[in-house]
Amino acid sequence: MRRILVAGLLTASSCMFAQKLAWQSNAQPKTTQQVQFLLPEQVTVPARRPSTIEMHFRVNNGLHINSHTPQEKSLIPTQLMVEEPAGLKIEAVDFPPGTDYSPAFSPSDKLSVYTGEFVLRAHVVAQAGEHLLQGTLRYQACDANSCYPPKKAPVAVNVVGK
Amino acid sequence: MVTGTSRKIVVTMKRNHAVLLVLVVALVLMVWAGITNYRHRKAEEARMHEMQAMLVPAAPASNAQATDEDERSPLEGKPAPAFVLEDLNGKKVSLASYKGKAVMVNFMATWCAPCKVETPWLIQLRQQYAPQGFEILGISTDDLDKDDKKKNAEDKAEIAKYAVNMHIDYPVLIDGDSISKQYGGVDALPTSFFVDRTGKIVAATVGLHDRDELEADIKKALAGQGA
Repeated sequence: MRRILVAGLLTASSCMFAQKLAWQSNAQPKTTQQVQFLLPEQVTVPARRPSTIEMHFRVNNGLHINSHTPQEKSLIPTQLMVEEPAGLKIEAVDFPPGTDYSPAFSPSDKLSVYTGEFVLRAHVVAQAGEHLLQGTLRYQACDANSCYPPKKAPVAVNVVGK
Repeated sequence: MVTGTSRKIVVTMKRNHAVLLVLVVALVLMVWAGITNYRHRKAEEARMHEMQAMLVPAAPASNAQATDEDERSPLEGKPAPAFVLEDLNGKKVSLASYKGKAVMVNFMATWCAPCKVETPWLIQLRQQYAPQGFEILGISTDDLDKDDKKKNAEDKAEIAKYAVNMHIDYPVLIDGDSISKQYGGVDALPTSFFVDRTGKIVAATVGLHDRDELEADIKKALAGQGA
């Protein structure tokens, strides 16, 4: 399998809920994902013909992640890293443009972020049969007052070429 | 008919008028610049004040069930976990070497936008309270490549560049992740621990807090009143 760094960047968005301290009982453990891969679990595409797979993700409420193209070099972009299985060629992955976001703590700044649900479009060519497309979405999230270390959300799609 | 003498007088008068005009214009420009600068400073002060006012209080207002006990770090009242980390010049720095001083242990990262907001406040507060025995240790949690020397050097250079750009004049220590577990698992940034002169943690904050709150915690650390 060929390891591919496809692209992307996640940004952080704002949360209007009050600050939670790390040691408080209901604070999220360090391993909790701030972004989830929603769907598809399985997709059928025409064999040996260019197709597009839409991968849906959701950023937790009150958070934002940097887009694939953040405004500042120091910010960590959202990236998708996938294993390209035999029989499935990934030509490219399109990331949506980020939306402008000015944090309350720095209203003059404009960040390029994803919030809520966003969709990546993978352009693939699949041979006949089943192929497991696996990878991770690397992102870095923030809320209204804090930023969290970069994390990786697992992604898995069963691609059926017919 | 204009004679040679009267032409000289006319030229001199014209020159005097020109000099006078230049002086008047320069004076007007200076007054205008002064007024503009004053207005800009006032606007900036108002903006900074507004930004502080927008910050949420330390206590989560939306969580009615949260108690004071919930909001306090379990480390408060306990000795600050000891550590030795490298600074940006490769020099080993230990927390123990600051015993007798009040220290703010400030976990941050170059990619953390709220950290950039509080940094100028920290610089000012350090200048203000350093004569009373106050110091800040910036603890960078930026990833450092430990397998690739070249990449490791690049990672360190990025942190150093950030410190220069932000005009940080207090020590910035690297590889903060190696001590975050001792400090209760630092996840959200910025996170700060306020250590009194005896080495005891007297306050802790997670996330961006307003300048007044940080100053109150610094005073608490200087007073050495352990929780």
